[in-house]
Amino acid sequence: MLRTDSIGDVAVIRLDRPEKRNALTVAMLGSLRQAFDNAMSARAIVLSGVGDVFCSGFDLTACRDDETVLGKLLEGLASVCVTMREHPSPVVVSAHGAAVAGGCAMVAAADLAVTSAGAKLGYPVVRLGFSPAVSAPMLTVTAGNGNARGRLLDPGLVDGVEAARIGLVHECAADAAACEARAIELATLLAGKPRHAMAFTKRWLNEVDGSVDAERLRAGLGASMALVGSAEQRELLPQAWAGRSGR
Amino acid sequence: MSELATVTSQGRIGTLVINRPEARNALSIELLRALHERMDELLGRGDLSVVVLTGAGKAFCAGMDLKAVVGSPDSRAAFELLHLLAELCIKIRSLPMVVLGKVNGAAIGGGCGLACVCDVSITHADSKMGFPEVDLGVCPAVVAPWLVRRVGAGRARQILLMGGLMSGQQAFEAGMVNRVVPGVGDLDAAADEMAARLATGGPEALRATKNLLNAIDGSLDHEQGRRGAELSAKVLSLPEARTMLEAKLGKS
Repeated sequence: MLRTDSIGDVAVIRLDRPEKRNALTVAMLGSLRQAFDNAMSARAIVLSGVGDVFCSGFDLTACRDDETVLGKLLEGLASVCVTMREHPSPVVVSAHGAAVAGGCAMVAAADLAVTSAGAKLGYPVVRLGFSPAVSAPMLTVTAGNGNARGRLLDPGLVDGVEAARIGLVHECAADAAACEARAIELATLLAGKPRHAMAFTKRWLNEVDGSVDAERLRAGLGASMALVGSAEQRELLPQAWAGRSGR
Repeated sequence: MSELATVTSQGRIGTLVINRPEARNALSIELLRALHERMDELLGRGDLSVVVLTGAGKAFCAGMDLKAVVGSPDSRAAFELLHLLAELCIKIRSLPMVVLGKVNGAAIGGGCGLACVCDVSITHADSKMGFPEVDLGVCPAVVAPWLVRRVGAGRARQILLMGGLMSGQQAFEAGMVNRVVPGVGDLDAAADEMAARLATGGPEALRATKNLLNAIDGSLDHEQGRRGAELSAKVLSLPEARTMLEAKLGKS
């Protein structure tokens, strides 16, 4: 459910579960983290998805039979986002088509992100009784406090143009194909830059902007975890597998 | 008064000129010291409520003058240069006056950092601004916090990791300056008008507002400035940066 290719010094990691709109499972999140760890020699990394959309968020079907899955998904996502920030090379996300909830959290964790004009991005999960707080420590840094508040509290989705306007992504391409091509182009440019200067600059930016501050990260994950199994969530979550688009 | 940096004033508006046009106002140790001296003098100027910071000649400031420190096995010289810049930035924020950056031409690397430190700023569409540090193997650690404060962390990350330069118009669109005029010929009149408008504010109200903003965004963090200078000096001393800079400086 994950595929890694190399284009020169660029590692291209793609979520590969197009029939489920690249919905994330606990195993996929573990492999994703491993894929970043395996790409230590890559000079830049593209994170993308096979098919029409980048990522539609967590695969909630597994939560149906096992309530502990949701907590594992949240922990896995938090860990992937920190891994992206702490990787010494820049990470460019191709958020084509859709980047929803957990997918949007990975966009916020990117060093650079590109989306496509018709894409849908955001955090509708409050409708299911979840809190997207796990993404807040990085989204507030990437898009600013005001825009982060808007996106995390409003369950509506925004299109690619609006996502670029609020700074959730850096660029908006015309369509999905152009989006990944542009992400690879940007990563190739970044890969050609001096390795140490890039690594030290990225690490310093993490420190200056507080995006990997352990206390903030703990608070974000903790707020999302605190609602796992809540009465509200038990009531609202079945909508997810009743086919209603909540993710 | 050192001729490398000069102050003049008219009414409530002072003008601080970076005056090393033959080197595109590149920041040498001597120039940075001269700027510190002028800042120390401005601190006591209760008659001023606005200071315009600009460059003599065509450039605003071409960045750090690294000639003297590159190739030196002693990284303390690089640290001293970078720490003088870090402290100068904090001094600009510590001035009780509103500082208007009049970016008359190239503002590159440390020079673009100075433009970002100014409370408000104006440039023209064709000026060149940006942070090409990573392209030269250098880490823009001293200026990074100022760009983060000015344009936000998401955009700052893009600008600093992508390196390169942008036009004044693009810098305006990225939020690096507050106003852009079409051509260099329009800049004097527009900057004068902006300075005059700023000077209509009550000095105490301006001072209190600036102080609050400094407290909110952590502008007066000396420790961060020192660590940024240390990191930048360390990266400068690596073979990667030395090789790239020696090639560049040898060519120029």
